[in-house]
Amino acid sequence: MIQPPLTVPASVYVQQAEQHKALNGTPIYVINCPEYEVVRLSFVFHAGSVTQCHPFVASATANMLAEGTQHFTAQQIAEQLDYFGSYFDINIDRDYAYITFCALSKFFQQTADVIEEVLLRPTFPAAEVEIYRAKRRQQLSIERRKVETIAREHFAKAMFGESHPYGISYPEEAYDTLTAEQIRHHYESRYTAENCIVVCSGKITPEVLERINAIASAIKSGEKGGVEAFPECQTTSQKVIQHDGAVQSSIRMGRMLFPRTHEDFVPMQVLSTVLGGYFGSRLMQNLRERNGFTYGVFSAMVNFQQAGYLALATQVGTEVTEQALDEIAREIEILRTELIPDEELALVKNIMAGEMMRILDGPFGIADVTTENILCGFDNSQIQLNLQRIQSTTPEELRSLAQKYLAPEDLVTVVAGDFQ
Amino acid sequence: MHPIFTTSSMIKYKQTTLRNGLTVIANRDTASRMAAVNILYKVGARNENPSRTGLAHLFEHLMFRGTENIPDFDTPVQMACGENNAFTNNDYTDFYITLPCDNIEIAFWLESDRMQWLNLSAEACEIEKRVVIEEFRQRYLNQPYGDLNMLLRDMVYTTHPYRWATIGLTPDHIADASLEEIRDFYRRFYHPSNAILSVSADLPEERVFELAEKWFGAIEDCPHKAEPIPAEPAQSEPRRLEVERDVPATTIVIAFHMGDRLSEDFYLGDITSDLLAGGDSARLYEHLIKGKKLFASVNAYISGDVDCGMFVFTGQLLPTTTEQEAETAFWEEIAQLQAAAISDYELEKVKNKFEANTLFGELNVMNKAMNLGYYSMIGDLPLINREVEIYRSLTKSQIADFSKRVFTPENSSTLIYRAK
Repeated sequence: MIQPPLTVPASVYVQQAEQHKALNGTPIYVINCPEYEVVRLSFVFHAGSVTQCHPFVASATANMLAEGTQHFTAQQIAEQLDYFGSYFDINIDRDYAYITFCALSKFFQQTADVIEEVLLRPTFPAAEVEIYRAKRRQQLSIERRKVETIAREHFAKAMFGESHPYGISYPEEAYDTLTAEQIRHHYESRYTAENCIVVCSGKITPEVLERINAIASAIKSGEKGGVEAFPECQTTSQKVIQHDGAVQSSIRMGRMLFPRTHEDFVPMQVLSTVLGGYFGSRLMQNLRERNGFTYGVFSAMVNFQQAGYLALATQVGTEVTEQALDEIAREIEILRTELIPDEELALVKNIMAGEMMRILDGPFGIADVTTENILCGFDNSQIQLNLQRIQSTTPEELRSLAQKYLAPEDLVTVVAGDFQ
Repeated sequence: MHPIFTTSSMIKYKQTTLRNGLTVIANRDTASRMAAVNILYKVGARNENPSRTGLAHLFEHLMFRGTENIPDFDTPVQMACGENNAFTNNDYTDFYITLPCDNIEIAFWLESDRMQWLNLSAEACEIEKRVVIEEFRQRYLNQPYGDLNMLLRDMVYTTHPYRWATIGLTPDHIADASLEEIRDFYRRFYHPSNAILSVSADLPEERVFELAEKWFGAIEDCPHKAEPIPAEPAQSEPRRLEVERDVPATTIVIAFHMGDRLSEDFYLGDITSDLLAGGDSARLYEHLIKGKKLFASVNAYISGDVDCGMFVFTGQLLPTTTEQEAETAFWEEIAQLQAAAISDYELEKVKNKFEANTLFGELNVMNKAMNLGYYSMIGDLPLINREVEIYRSLTKSQIADFSKRVFTPENSSTLIYRAK
């Protein structure tokens, strides 16, 4: 039977976040979706690993907020949240710590009693720190048996430099010297009103907002606590890491570019999608579908507060590592020399629009996108602008971007596997 | 204690069966602009021949190889701003597409096409076999603990095909699968009366049925007699396997046989696993990680299979813990359950959490479409709205009885996965 007609949504409507300010100046962004009987509340602090004074202290602080507070033990907090079916989620990256709570609307107030404690009155008990250290150290040592972890860590080092805050990684033993004192210090200096934004979504009634406001207003004021100026990046273009017994090699390749605020970021997202951003991408077609070298390959633009880069990652059979590297290089070269056919580009544009629609279908996704926009200094009208920017890219523009940014000599390549 | 959750939402649906035997289920979701189209085939690894395992999963991959009419499956989905994927488990194979509701007919067109005209050329099969073998290596051979579940299944089951994981017993089974075997598999399992089509979207149910009739109504059914699946004989003696691997931490697993998906055992097993490991306030985490500091991580779960399944305890030891201590700790937890040492509050908590998770799960169209297909497959579609009620009705003495009956040494299989 013949294909039914299809339409491409010309625009994606997203509501603007309503803005409020807590008494201490903490901005509160509200995405009210009253048709959902849930509340999601996120506190984002500029407290990622670049802001830490000791290895692992940033992640420890975020992960241990709920491990004991002035009025509750860790067990009581967990009990209280579980009893009302609420949950929380900690996410930490190099720049930020994201503390997110989810509750059914009818139990928001009870959940807020816990949120308040976790956020405002954590005590980081020494006994809990000890358990945390042992647990995390073991997890990390397991992670580091995987070639993809090895490649990921070495790739960051190769791109930014061994001691650059975006490149550095620490030995597992550094967990042993992590102390409650260090964690408390990190909390005091980074979890302040000046470093915080609040984003909430779901059914935000006036009572809910009032409570959120009260919690945000109680976050202590402190200094803005800037980050020390980053050292110059020291880039190494090739790294091979031997890992005995690996039956696959993990490959990471990419190059330093710019953060999301740069005018070429969105078109470079289009280019990275063509290369490896979806199931039918060029690298996937080549490495997986035509050659069967890999189970999957992926490329994307990655955004940090003060940097951005393009990266691709895959795991391939040990015996085809060289061939896979050649094929990747060849696909990049084609982007630099040939125009992307119109049909393929149209496909990629629709994929990117569809991805946006899926993320924005529901209150939680809208909140995530809103948060990302705010952290980049945008508001939600940026979504429509980005979509237009995607739509307006041309094959010529993408080829010239590939020529400008993807020269072979500028690429960083890291391979971890068993080469002996 | 009275339940604090008084109302629970229901998934409303309508169901019909086409003349060729295809089951069609429709749920109307007025809040979403996206549609989810799910098609479940009643075939999984349990339907495989012991000398040709991994075929159901390989076949899931082949379903994306296109047809004469639609040579590339993914492109039309992506042109329609949609996304698609699939998974295989021991019981069934599931394919799903989410896309803007305006483009829903594209999904019907694609799914009906590949139900009839799949391209099973020698070349397509060869490439897909290589991809699956890479998946085998990436996920099972090249990961720390990658073979743990394979070892466990092989010990717990002597006869039933749950003895092997979905990926199969060995990459050789996949490599050696003949074109004729693959084509025969398609004829036997991929036809209307062996499939369930479920849709969640902002469309009247009748419209979904019309579309189903239009796209699937003319497909001829070719029913095959289902091969009986050998039942697992009752276990009468403890089983034990000790292996040594190059991993950083020793892991201990104790598994027990329990009842099937439609038996009361399923709910009793599920709630027992929640008491033990559902959230940070659950027993194993509080007692064995926080209290006795024996493990870095610990879990209890049910396999949740259609046929008689497994109840599994698993824990990763801290370096200071002996294997004996770890095993004893699990059996002490079991003894407490058998003595019905459970407070009303604790039981209420896991019930509340179950209900909240059910509500959170109903927020998106994909989960709903997938669940409708699943409940229809297990043979009791209305059960989708009764689970919370059944869960609510369970008592302490039932949990104790279950624990006494299931958690016995004779019914246990212990795996010591020792760090070298």
